[in-house]
Amino acid sequence: MKALFHFIKSYFALLMVGLVFAWASGSILVYRNRTAPPGATVLRIGHWQLEASVRDAINEMARRYREIHPNVYVVQDAIPEGVYGQWVSTQLLGGTAPDIVQVGAMLPWNIWLSYYNRYFIPISREVNRANPYNRGTELEHTPFRQTYKDGMRTAYVDEMQEYVSIPLSQFGIRIFYNKDLLKRLTGLDAAPEDYREFLRACERIASQKDERGNHYIPIAGSQYHFGMWDSMMFDPLTYGAVRKADFNRDGFVGNDELYTAIKTGRLGMKFPPFEAKFRMLREVTDHFQPGYTGLTRDEAVFLFAQQKAVFMTTGTWDARSLQKQAEGRFEVGVMDFPVPAADDDYYGPIIEGRNYERPGGGFAFGITRTSRNPELALDFLLFMASQAQNEELNRIIGWIPCILGTEMDPMLEAFEPHLEGIYSAMNLWLGGETATKWMQLYSAYQVDQVSYDGLVEQFEPFYKEQGYKDFMEQQRDWRRGMHQNERFLAGIRARALASEGEEAESAWVKYRALTTSRQIWAELTHNRQVQLIEKGPDLEAVGPYEYSPAVLKKIRERIKKEK
Amino acid sequence: MRTAAVLAALAGACLLSSCARTAFVMESDDPLESAWNDYTLGEFDRAVEKFGALRAGAAAGDDTWCEATYGLATTWNLRRPGEDPAAARVLYEELIATAPAHDLTAWSRLALARMKHLVPVGEDPDYNEVRRAYREVMTMHPGHLAAQEAFLYLNSTLISSLEPAQTKQALEALERAVADPSYQFTGPAWSLIAVGSHTLGDMERRLYAEEMSLKTTEVDPTNPFTEYAWQYWNLATIAEFEVGDFDKARLYYRKLIEEYPQDIRVYAAKQALQRMDDLEMKIRAEM
Repeated sequence: MKALFHFIKSYFALLMVGLVFAWASGSILVYRNRTAPPGATVLRIGHWQLEASVRDAINEMARRYREIHPNVYVVQDAIPEGVYGQWVSTQLLGGTAPDIVQVGAMLPWNIWLSYYNRYFIPISREVNRANPYNRGTELEHTPFRQTYKDGMRTAYVDEMQEYVSIPLSQFGIRIFYNKDLLKRLTGLDAAPEDYREFLRACERIASQKDERGNHYIPIAGSQYHFGMWDSMMFDPLTYGAVRKADFNRDGFVGNDELYTAIKTGRLGMKFPPFEAKFRMLREVTDHFQPGYTGLTRDEAVFLFAQQKAVFMTTGTWDARSLQKQAEGRFEVGVMDFPVPAADDDYYGPIIEGRNYERPGGGFAFGITRTSRNPELALDFLLFMASQAQNEELNRIIGWIPCILGTEMDPMLEAFEPHLEGIYSAMNLWLGGETATKWMQLYSAYQVDQVSYDGLVEQFEPFYKEQGYKDFMEQQRDWRRGMHQNERFLAGIRARALASEGEEAESAWVKYRALTTSRQIWAELTHNRQVQLIEKGPDLEAVGPYEYSPAVLKKIRERIKKEK
Repeated sequence: MRTAAVLAALAGACLLSSCARTAFVMESDDPLESAWNDYTLGEFDRAVEKFGALRAGAAAGDDTWCEATYGLATTWNLRRPGEDPAAARVLYEELIATAPAHDLTAWSRLALARMKHLVPVGEDPDYNEVRRAYREVMTMHPGHLAAQEAFLYLNSTLISSLEPAQTKQALEALERAVADPSYQFTGPAWSLIAVGSHTLGDMERRLYAEEMSLKTTEVDPTNPFTEYAWQYWNLATIAEFEVGDFDKARLYYRKLIEEYPQDIRVYAAKQALQRMDDLEMKIRAEM
């Protein structure tokens, strides 16, 4: 007994490690036996969606899939967002990753890119074939990628020229609101989508107090939520700058173009669409709770769930959990972002419509190279991405299906993307000191520490003065990108040289296309940008979207001839 | 002490047993393919080792030796970090000298020219020297794809200068190339002609060249994810604002709207159609 005690005392640490290891191994064995019977084919799927509805939906998909493939069991590894990046890295590097892994977030893009290259199976060939699970539908003969609402665009990795993931849902951002509280405080049955009416509703809400004597908060906000309001509502107001500063007429105002336009006086920060953005920002954020910039997402959600705030913006990913939190207490409504009317005294001449939203797939999964059953993993993903199953999967989760011809929860209809609209044209980001100055002033403006006039007074001269240096510093890196491209192209060339037939033809086409797009244009674009920055636009010339006198003359002559 | 060692060994064995299997990283039975896979995945040390072993085991000048030498040179040239341009240069030159008739000789010459062009960040290339190197590839390997690529790079340096004299020189050469059916970079050559025409202010030619570039765009047979939205937009705006050819502008704006209804420029394309209608109506009313 004494000897045993002495042994335990001497090797306590080692024994503890052994015990914990044995306990962990036992737990895993029990867990695995519970999730799949011995002899079953197990597909493991790793993701960061801890919402119960996501796990239920995947379980339901697994059950349905097992009706067709009786011996296949799907086991989920649901990992919290906060550690997903580390977890997926460890699993991939260690060769123990699940067969199917959720990809595309929780790690920087360049890391995902290297993982895609190394640990995931490209599926470009497969996405060009019809999905067998769409048999009997109008998509039966449609190539898989074309069965997506967005043409599967978001799954294409440009840097690899390959598809490596299969998205299963579509996401969007809208305003959620407490229907009961809105009715009680404003008498309105539905949230107003006219901007002025929305502001009036916010004022009415803010003027009333709850049973504890605290004022109601019209909009639950945080730094997280501010970004959504900014991109969906404030930024698009700046679209008018496209007509003034899109010198290369590509449809966008690049940071070089805006700098040149401001430097040469073609545009100023007092340009009405820019001022309008800041005015709207102030008008809307005045209805956020005080100090919102220092609050987190959860704190805002808490206010909304506690019925202290009426409106809150967020995405489809939160729809079901908000509904669950409200269950039995209040009804959640979804509304589009309010827009000023065309006859609005101030915004009318500026606002041109709703903001453009690019429909994109998310909730994407890739198949790992370590999968013991890659064909089965692909088949299960195709099953979930078929028309019928994708609709059911998303119905259970409460998200938007990403496959054509699917129906969605009526509550989510407000999330249908605006495929036609305006977008931001105020890219002041030149890096360096101007970027730091801009961030400081923009943050100060958000909390009302500086007026717009004050912001312009402090920023515009600094931007004009320092911007050139920051831009040139930013441009120093352009050749680094060419080195990376050259390395990538050498790999494609080697593949082309080593292959035959259609594969070789495809590789050479890719090689020629990439040589042009990445290496030829890079130098040209750089030189043009530098020329624009150094020499500025022709001050005598008309704006990029105006007709020159010579062109007008030509048009007149043509019309005259027609007569 | 012995018990502790046994326990530690057991614990170690248990822990090791928890590692299921090592990651499969595109291993190939073909050592050359395997070395290129390592290069593609950024495993440069392994690539160097494999190319080096292949090179050492082959007779100088034979096919394996040439392929391994080229792979090794490419790795030393383009790996970051740890690049060794001097070693790369020696290897490329050795390949050129040892196997002048091998297909990879042309690619090695092109690589040497590219090394002159792609100087380190912060430096500017000596363009005269760069152009001389490209011309050498074209002279030594006429008709080879590497020479055709060198031709494209050579003329892109002239077009990128945005100087009229150099642009004219490039345009003459590029016009000859697009007339040659054996030239494989026809689409990009037309694009360069369009840019050069822009520099020289010849907008009619620019529009024509852009249309030819669109017509000659190559489609990858295994991945036909070719998007023409930008080209349609570009053609439409050149036709509208530079040439005043509203028929053509309308054609391409409409193609953009119909073929790419989800494109971000659809709103602007619809506005453009309205703008042209309004202008024509205004002019007619004035007449």
